[in-house]
Amino acid sequence: MELRLNNLTKQFGDFTAVDHVSLTMSSGVYGLLGVNGAGKTTLMRMICTLLRPTGGQILCGGRDIFKLDGDYRKILGYLPQDFGFYPEFTVKDYLLYVSALKGLRPAVAKRRVRELAEGVGLSKHLNKKMKKLSGGMKRRAGIAQAMLNDPKILVLDEPTAGLDPNERIRFRNLISELSEDRLVLLSTHIVSDVEYIANEILLMGEGKILHQGTADELIDSMPERVWKCRAEKSEVPALMKKYRVSNIRSEAHGAELRIISGEKPSTDAVPEEAALEDVFLYYFGEKGVDDSALI
Amino acid sequence: MLLYELKKVLGKTVNKVALLLLLAALVIVSTLAIGGVSYTEPDGSSISGMAAARQLEKVKKQWEGYITEDVLRAVIEANDAVNQSPEYQSDDVTENNMAYSRKQGFSDIREMLNQAFSDFQTYDYFRADSLSPEDAGAFYGKRAASLREWLDSEEMKDQFTENEKQYLIRHYEEMETPVYYTYADGWETLLTYTDTMIMLIVLITGFLVSGIFPGEFSLKADSVYFSSRFGRNRGVRAKIGAGILLISVIYWGTMLLYTGIMLFALGVGGGSCVIQTGLGGWKSFYNITFFQKYLLSVMGGYVGSLFILSLAMLISAKTRSAVLAVTVPFIVLFIPSFLSGVNPLTKVLGLLPDQLLQISSVINQFSLYELGGKVISSVPILLVLYSCLCVIIIPWTYQICHRIQDR
Repeated sequence: MELRLNNLTKQFGDFTAVDHVSLTMSSGVYGLLGVNGAGKTTLMRMICTLLRPTGGQILCGGRDIFKLDGDYRKILGYLPQDFGFYPEFTVKDYLLYVSALKGLRPAVAKRRVRELAEGVGLSKHLNKKMKKLSGGMKRRAGIAQAMLNDPKILVLDEPTAGLDPNERIRFRNLISELSEDRLVLLSTHIVSDVEYIANEILLMGEGKILHQGTADELIDSMPERVWKCRAEKSEVPALMKKYRVSNIRSEAHGAELRIISGEKPSTDAVPEEAALEDVFLYYFGEKGVDDSALI
Repeated sequence: MLLYELKKVLGKTVNKVALLLLLAALVIVSTLAIGGVSYTEPDGSSISGMAAARQLEKVKKQWEGYITEDVLRAVIEANDAVNQSPEYQSDDVTENNMAYSRKQGFSDIREMLNQAFSDFQTYDYFRADSLSPEDAGAFYGKRAASLREWLDSEEMKDQFTENEKQYLIRHYEEMETPVYYTYADGWETLLTYTDTMIMLIVLITGFLVSGIFPGEFSLKADSVYFSSRFGRNRGVRAKIGAGILLISVIYWGTMLLYTGIMLFALGVGGGSCVIQTGLGGWKSFYNITFFQKYLLSVMGGYVGSLFILSLAMLISAKTRSAVLAVTVPFIVLFIPSFLSGVNPLTKVLGLLPDQLLQISSVINQFSLYELGGKVISSVPILLVLYSCLCVIIIPWTYQICHRIQDR
C-alpha cells in the first residue's frame, strides 16, 4: 500500500496551511511532528478526504483518493484530534454504528467489536454509555473505531492529547502493536509519542515538511551540538536568550542546563548525546518548548 | 444504520421532552374539542362532552334524511312554534334555554337556512326566525343566486376573472340537491381542530428533525462519520430516511390517535354528508363530504409537514445549525399571518406551504388560480406543488451531505 502526496497544497483565503508537500509513504509508522498550527491536521484531513486540496494530488496505489471515493475510505481508519462521539450510545452501540458506516456485515461487526474491545481494554465497559467513559477510555474507543475495518491506512491525529503519562505510554504501545502490515500516520507535537515507535519521522512547520528520516537520521542532520553545563541562577536568563535551551534543572546553588549550540556555551560545558527532543527544539525554536514534551 | 439514526434522535432529552409535549398537546386539544360540545337539557340545564354528544346525536337523528322542501318547511314551522312559546319569549335565561333545547334537533338545518337567506357576505343568526314555510322552496336556488349577486357587485368586480366567476357558479350549481343530512358533530368538531393539531405536530416535530444533520458537527463526530466508507451515501440516506420516518410516524400516529379519540367520543356518523350541511360549509364550492374533507385535510397536512420539515432538514444540512433549522417551521407558519393584511399578496399567500396545514379552512375560501385559461382551486395546486418540491428537496439534501469535503 503506497500513499503518495504530490505537491499538495491547501489554502484558506490568503493563508497557506499546507504548502506544496510531496511525500511517499508505505507500510510502517510515520510520525508527523510539528508545533501547533504547523498544518498537520489540515494535511491529515486531506488524506482522510475531509478537505479537498487547493492544489496537488493524493494518490493511493497510483489513483486519486477523491476519485476512489468510498473505495479509498474502505481501507482508511481515522482518529481525529477532536474525537466526538454520541454521548447517549453505549460503547457497543457506538462501535456497531461505526461498523455499519464502514460497511461491515452485522455478524462480522459483532466479532470485530468484541476483538477490538478486548484489544484496547474496553471489554468490561461495552455496555457503558460513551459519556460515562474517562478521557483515556474515550481515546481507546476512538482507536477501536478507527481499527474496525482493519484499515490499510490508519491516520491518528494527536491521539495522546489530554492523556496522563501512563495512558500515553499504554496508548503508544497499542499503536505500535497495531502498526503491522499497515501505514500508520500519527501526528503529534509531543516528541516522545513518536520517538520510539515511528519508522520515519516527518518534521512539519509552516505547512511544509522541513525534514524527514529516522530518529537517528534527524539527530544526525542537526548541524549544532548539545551541551550540558552549570550556571548561576542569575546567569540563566542570559543563556536562555543567547542559546536554545532544551532543559533546565534547578540545583541548590544554580542550575544545570542542556543547550543546543554550534559553539561551546561555557568553559565547563561538556558535549551530550543529542535526542529527538533537541532536534525538535532546534528546528522549531522557542515554540518547541512544551511542558508535556519533557515527560 | 436507520435504527441508529433513530436512536440518536430519540436518545436526546430535548426530543423526549418534545414528544411528551406533543402528547400533552393532543390531550389538551382533544379535551377542549370534546368539552366544547354542549347539550341543553329540556329543563334548561347544560351538559358537555361525550354525554352531550350522545344526546345531540339522539335528537339530531330525528331529522336525518334528505333536506327536501317538506323538511325545510317542517323546520321553519318547528322553529316558529318554539319562538312562539312562552319560554322563548320569557326574560328568564333558564326558560330561554328550555326553549332552545327544543331547537337542538334541527339546529344544523336552521343554520343552513340562516346562511342561505342572509346576504352573501353577512350572517344573521335570527334570519331563520323571519322565514315563512313558503320560503322553503327557494332554499337551494338562493345559494347560487346569492353568489351570482355577490360576484356581480361593484365590490367584487375585479376580484375574480370571468373564468373564475363561471367556475364558482358552475361548482355551486353542480351540488346535488336535495342534500342528505344526519348528525355529523363528530366529523365537524374533528375538522375544526384538525388545523391546530397539524400545526402543533409540525412545530414539535421540527425539534426532532432539526438535529439529525447538524448532530455530527455539534458533537464533533463528523470527521469519523464522513471519513467512513458509507458516511456520505448510505449514512446520509439513513439520516434522510430517519427524518422522513419520524415525520411520517409522528404525523400519522398523532393524527390517527386524534381522529380515533374524537370520533370515539363524539360519534362516527355523518361522514358521508356534504360539507354544505355543516357550520361554515354552506358557501364552500367544493362538492365533497365531511370524510373527503378530512382526507384532504390530513393529506394536505402530511404533504405540508413533509415539505416544511424537509426544508428544515435541508437548511440544517447546509448551515450545520439545528437552531436555525428549528425556526423554519415557525417562520413558514407565522410570517404569512403578518402579511395577510397586504392585499396584493393575497394570491401568493394562498400558495404558501402554511395553507397545506389548514386545508379544512382553505376549503371554505374562494381561493382560485387561472393558469392558461384554466381555473384551478388552490387545494390541488398546493398538493401537487409541494409534493414536487419535496421530491426536489430530499435529493438536494443528500447532495449537500455527499459533497461534504467541498468546504
